[in-house]
Amino acid sequence: MGKWWSILFGVTMIACTLLFVVSPFVGWWLPEGVSTHSWSVDLLFYFILGITGFFFILTEALMCIFMYRYCSSEKAGRTVAHAPGFFVRTYNKWTPPAIKGSIAKVLNDPHKIEMAWTVLPAVILLWIAFAQVDAWAVIKYQSRMPRYAEKNQEFTPLQIDVTARQWEWRIRYPSSERFVEWMTRKGDPEILKDFQSFAKIEQKDDVKLVNELHVWNHHPAVLQLSTRDVIHSFNLPHMRVKQDSLPGKQIPVWFTPIKHNTIRLSADGDVWIDGYNPDTKAQDRNQIWDLSCAELCGWGHYRMVGRLYVHESQQDFLDWLKSVEAKMLPPRAK
Amino acid sequence: MSVAHPAEVHAHPEMNFLSKYFFSQDHKVIGIQFLFTSLIFLVVGGGLALLVRVQLAWPHAEIPLLSWMFQDNGGRMPESFYNMLFSMHASVMIFFVIIPVLAGAFGNFTIPLMIGAKDMAFPVLNMLSYWFMWPAFVLILSSFFVEGGGPAAGWTSYPTLSSVAMPAGEGLQSPAAPNSGHGQVLWLLALTFVGISSMLGSVNYITTIINMRAPGMTLYRMPMTIWAMFITAILQAFALPVLTVALILQTLDKTIGTTFFLPDGLTFGNWITGPGGGQTLLWQHLFWFYSHPAVYIMILPSMGMVSDIISTFARRPLFGYRAMIYSIAGIAGLGFIVWGHHMFQSGMDPRLGTGFMIATIMIALPSAIKVFNWLGTIFHGNIQYTAAMLFALGFVALFIIGGLSGIFMAATPVDIFIHDTYFIVAHIHYVLFTSSIFGIFAGIYYWFPKMFARQMNEFWGRVHFGLTFVLANCVFFPMHILGVGGLRRRIPDITASPREAAFMPLNQFITISALVLGAVQIIFVINFFYSLFRGKPAGRNPWNSNTLEWSAPSPPPHGNFETVPIVFRGPYEYVEVEGHGDHLPQTLKLEGPAPTAGH
Repeated sequence: MGKWWSILFGVTMIACTLLFVVSPFVGWWLPEGVSTHSWSVDLLFYFILGITGFFFILTEALMCIFMYRYCSSEKAGRTVAHAPGFFVRTYNKWTPPAIKGSIAKVLNDPHKIEMAWTVLPAVILLWIAFAQVDAWAVIKYQSRMPRYAEKNQEFTPLQIDVTARQWEWRIRYPSSERFVEWMTRKGDPEILKDFQSFAKIEQKDDVKLVNELHVWNHHPAVLQLSTRDVIHSFNLPHMRVKQDSLPGKQIPVWFTPIKHNTIRLSADGDVWIDGYNPDTKAQDRNQIWDLSCAELCGWGHYRMVGRLYVHESQQDFLDWLKSVEAKMLPPRAK
Repeated sequence: MSVAHPAEVHAHPEMNFLSKYFFSQDHKVIGIQFLFTSLIFLVVGGGLALLVRVQLAWPHAEIPLLSWMFQDNGGRMPESFYNMLFSMHASVMIFFVIIPVLAGAFGNFTIPLMIGAKDMAFPVLNMLSYWFMWPAFVLILSSFFVEGGGPAAGWTSYPTLSSVAMPAGEGLQSPAAPNSGHGQVLWLLALTFVGISSMLGSVNYITTIINMRAPGMTLYRMPMTIWAMFITAILQAFALPVLTVALILQTLDKTIGTTFFLPDGLTFGNWITGPGGGQTLLWQHLFWFYSHPAVYIMILPSMGMVSDIISTFARRPLFGYRAMIYSIAGIAGLGFIVWGHHMFQSGMDPRLGTGFMIATIMIALPSAIKVFNWLGTIFHGNIQYTAAMLFALGFVALFIIGGLSGIFMAATPVDIFIHDTYFIVAHIHYVLFTSSIFGIFAGIYYWFPKMFARQMNEFWGRVHFGLTFVLANCVFFPMHILGVGGLRRRIPDITASPREAAFMPLNQFITISALVLGAVQIIFVINFFYSLFRGKPAGRNPWNSNTLEWSAPSPPPHGNFETVPIVFRGPYEYVEVEGHGDHLPQTLKLEGPAPTAGH
């Protein structure tokens, strides 16, 4: 009877493992990564998945084997010595004697075993830890974020102000005029000043939208994140971006898309739609990228979902920006 | 160092019903009181969890049983009610079930018995530690019924959602959420009382373990349960004051208009808060400085109990006894410098995140050593599959999953994606349900004969284990997949985002499994109460175990031992010795050379 428990453990653990194997094929997996961050984040995810998966299978297998072999028999007697099993026979046959000798030395000395299973995981864990450092710094350190281009050959990132409130994202873009100045005039102290003031001072001709975040492909976007009421979390799962917004603080977030999902609906019109897949040149449900709130922020938290529109080119973005400006009421001051 | 008791026999006065079962100063009665009240709260917390699951699987359907409460919402659950459910589920499970069962019930019951003491060092303090739970019980339960409903800002209660209050004179309503008014204040006060209770307990445990050990019970002859309780008590004593301060600060913010956690000029509808100058991150630092060690407060005692149970039923000495102690101490020590890993995406300086990440990943090392040692213990053992042993082995098998999944979220770049997704929910439940609660079940099956002098039914115990083991995996393992898919946690309706709506079938599978898992626990409840009155009478030592509590009568009288036990050996000497069977109790004095209890 006792041996059945090891089989129950084994079957359950195999089922768990299989779920991880099958899920990617039915679409229950990481959403497509479409920013420069996604490559490093996903690589590290698979790296950790590989290592933890290996140790998961190793430890659970050992546990099930021990539970099976060292089960007390119904007579409650000691387990008798077993004939060597398949793995032991294979090991005996194929391992060079020198290695076998040193392994036997470790296995026959509990203190050596303990040293081995302390030092080896320690090395692997440190390796995992230090593998993360650079990716994290690139994504999050403010010192590493793209900034206003000082020289001619660099480019200036798109700057957008994102203000969260219960339960929407208020998104503020520079006017098209200002935007063109940012992008074309480099190394100009005046523009630098204007660029840095954008997040702090609202201008009357700023373009304001709710829950619609527009950027364009292959160009870094820096978002100045703040909140008017409670903590929210700015979450772009496809871009592998997540950052809480804190009351009383402004926190910059950046990413560079590597795929676009937004096209002009008609050649000369100003209707733009997302959900376009440039690989298949067709509309695709999976190409609708959400901008959701990831931190509990009150009863409307679940529906605090906006959308991310990635245009194909800077020109497309500019066209879109102008089309929104045209629809806005003229500012009273003008 | 071990301190002998005075030799005189301590006379215990006759007690009436009230002083024997209610205001008792006997550590065993207090432990059992903690056990019973916590098990009642386990039912409450479990019920809340099932309601959460029902809403998640059928977000647009009427809620069974409760639809009468939501007539104006078409019988469907309002979002704020859902937020209240998961907030209270976590608060109840953590502060009213797991911590009181592990520290309160098992700590109280086992510590004096396993070190050979007559009682705790401070019996009156011990009684108070239980009775300080009662204001907390009343406060937390009454928060369900106050205006605005129970607290709904998560068990973490992050300001400003939880803390912001209307200007003075406008009552306790919160502009941020209806539930963050009266309910939140009651929650804060309830937790403060739980904190007082835990603090009284921990002081008592530390003193008792240091001062009251039986002759011969050196520190390195203490069973792992006692080591774990000892280190847990130290964790409590050092971490709790910080939580208490945070709770008081938030209470002041909510009631008398201080602004510890309130920055300047926030906008809620038409109302703009005045000058603040506070920091929302301050709460997170204070809260996690306690609540991360609290995670270890909730797992270390289980680890200790499981170590004892595995050694007993594998009939083998615990592999690497000292390594086990050092790794518990290592987990506890590192546990104080890793709280920031809950805050990687919080807006804390990301350079701090790098340091917290390295410390956090290294905490996997002592955990790994413990797992290897448990495997080393059953290797070449003679395993008896009792219900207690099965839950202990289940603990090990599933703690491996909870431990390994922790590495993902410790890694800061990966955490960017999985933070606040169901991956976190999966991880926390593998650690707290399939580990801590499995440890609690193992402990109940194991010490039941000592507590009540009867044995629980083994057959139904095994059935309970088998079903719980399989179903718990059905409930919590698919949550990893939901998290990898990026499903956010704490949302009542996953169809709000088309991407997340794709996970509906998996969500429904989890909910059905959870409902069955809940139903299966009835087996345990019936077995528990049936065995309490009709169970097979147990002798002193039904498991042939070595530790001291089994040399006392069952149930031990007030004062525990007939004579002061004298300890001659460590707790894990399960070896064949001529004329002594396969185990050597700690009180056994052998003539001649001591047998070697090798690994």
